[in-house]
Amino acid sequence: MKKFLNDPTAFVDEMLDGIYTAHPSLDFVAGDRRCMVATRSVPGKVGIATGGGSGHLPLFLGYVGEGMLDGVAVGGVFQSPSAEQMYQVTKHIDQGAGVLYIYGNYSGDIINFDMAAELADIDGIVVKQVIGNDDAASSVIGEEHKRRGVAGIIFVYKAAGAAAAAGLPLDEVTRIADKARARTRTMGVALSSCVVPEIGHATFSIGEEEMEIGMGIHGEPGISRTKLARADAVVDQMMPPIFAELAFNRGDNVAVLVNGLGGTPLEELYILFRRAAQLFDERGVTIKHVFIGEYATSMEMAGASISVLHLDDELDAMISRTANTPFFKHFPG
Amino acid sequence: MTSVDTLSAADMIRLFASWKTLFADRREELIALDGKVGDSDLGITMSKGFAAAAEAVAAEGESADIGKLLRVAGAVMARTAPSTMGTLTATGFIGAGKALQGANSLGSPEIALFWRSFRDSVAERGKAKLGDKTLLDVLDPVAVTLDAQAASGATLMHALAQAAQTAELALEATKLMKAQRGKAAAYQDATIGLQDAGATAGTLMIVRMWEFVHSSDAI
Repeated sequence: MKKFLNDPTAFVDEMLDGIYTAHPSLDFVAGDRRCMVATRSVPGKVGIATGGGSGHLPLFLGYVGEGMLDGVAVGGVFQSPSAEQMYQVTKHIDQGAGVLYIYGNYSGDIINFDMAAELADIDGIVVKQVIGNDDAASSVIGEEHKRRGVAGIIFVYKAAGAAAAAGLPLDEVTRIADKARARTRTMGVALSSCVVPEIGHATFSIGEEEMEIGMGIHGEPGISRTKLARADAVVDQMMPPIFAELAFNRGDNVAVLVNGLGGTPLEELYILFRRAAQLFDERGVTIKHVFIGEYATSMEMAGASISVLHLDDELDAMISRTANTPFFKHFPG
Repeated sequence: MTSVDTLSAADMIRLFASWKTLFADRREELIALDGKVGDSDLGITMSKGFAAAAEAVAAEGESADIGKLLRVAGAVMARTAPSTMGTLTATGFIGAGKALQGANSLGSPEIALFWRSFRDSVAERGKAKLGDKTLLDVLDPVAVTLDAQAASGATLMHALAQAAQTAELALEATKLMKAQRGKAAAYQDATIGLQDAGATAGTLMIVRMWEFVHSSDAI
């Protein structure tokens, strides 16, 4: 393991110290730096909270700010935060309009967010949940409820965040978030393993010349492990499930997110995007919004994912709106 | 055989210390087991959770009733080890603590109530079904065994000996199951033949409870 560390057990808290010092728009509540909220609040707005393990920056905390999220509970590396931390965030961000939880489909997160929602309910805070499950490789059609949430959750954050910023009520924000969730698919590919600091060795082994299509962002198994192909051929293997499930017509619009998993240069992400764009062009589908960079990583894992949101007019409008967070800045036009 | 066949609050505090040592000792083994089909954090979760719980029950002190100690342990564990297994274990202790509110000693009927409540809380929170290859596949037969033992008037030591044996058999049986829950579910058929990591942690807890009662200086 070759990492910049002082103490593996202080990895998350020292990272958070750096984050708070760098970004005065973020603060914490309940005396716990893992209960992160936006410094500024908008009276009467529906609150949006997320949470999950560390090791995925900019996910999850990077999206707290204007036009996106209001709070996040930060867990240890690849570990859920506690229900208590989620509850503290919920209490703080509720402006009387209720709170929407948006997080990925992982058992630890579900159990703890459910507990937090029960605690919030005792306080009379209305909580709704939308659980991201965009990873098309992680279970078959018909078993979508078993699919993992990965980088495509950014589209859910963006759509819900814009809806809440527009002053829509909780039911509407939830409906729009759920529509964005249902119309998003992601396929990933990994070239090397992540290393959890407290464990100190690779989570899995993969050959120098191998790639694994469909691997999850904690090293969960994918659907095929083969010799690393040329970049265009890799994209050609990743896109078919997305095309099959989102059923595009000519003239449709999409938002595309090409995400680096932590150890892949930005240049390579553009090489992948180049081929994905060709495939959309062949189908007469217009890419209206493009996001390329690191949005949801897995420590130092080399690899990438491609997320596609099948837009309609409403989602297009939500994706277009302004967002300004420490790790996500988006301005219309 | 010892003449005292119950666990006191002071015993429970020492049992938590023993669980703490157990999970510190087995940390790497659980990391490796979980690493096969999970994200390797189980050893970290259990060692951290029990270390914090042992400290909290010791701080609470033996003047507290056992229900209170269990709820304190659960609450601390939920905060310090919020991964799936940490939260489920914490939920189990909180459920057992509620059921044993006011109890000052645990004989075999109370131990049966302990594990029955623990199982029910885990089942409700985790939503797993029997056969999903989870902790529940050990907790359920253990609770059933202890109920039968208590009903037949078995001593605590005898009841726990049976429960420990049941747990080990039930753990062995998880090898034949295909994971339906958590990160392991993604491995599908590849999980057949492997014993479940969460069920392993549960078995370790139960076996240690029996060893604790069995050791002559425990009670």
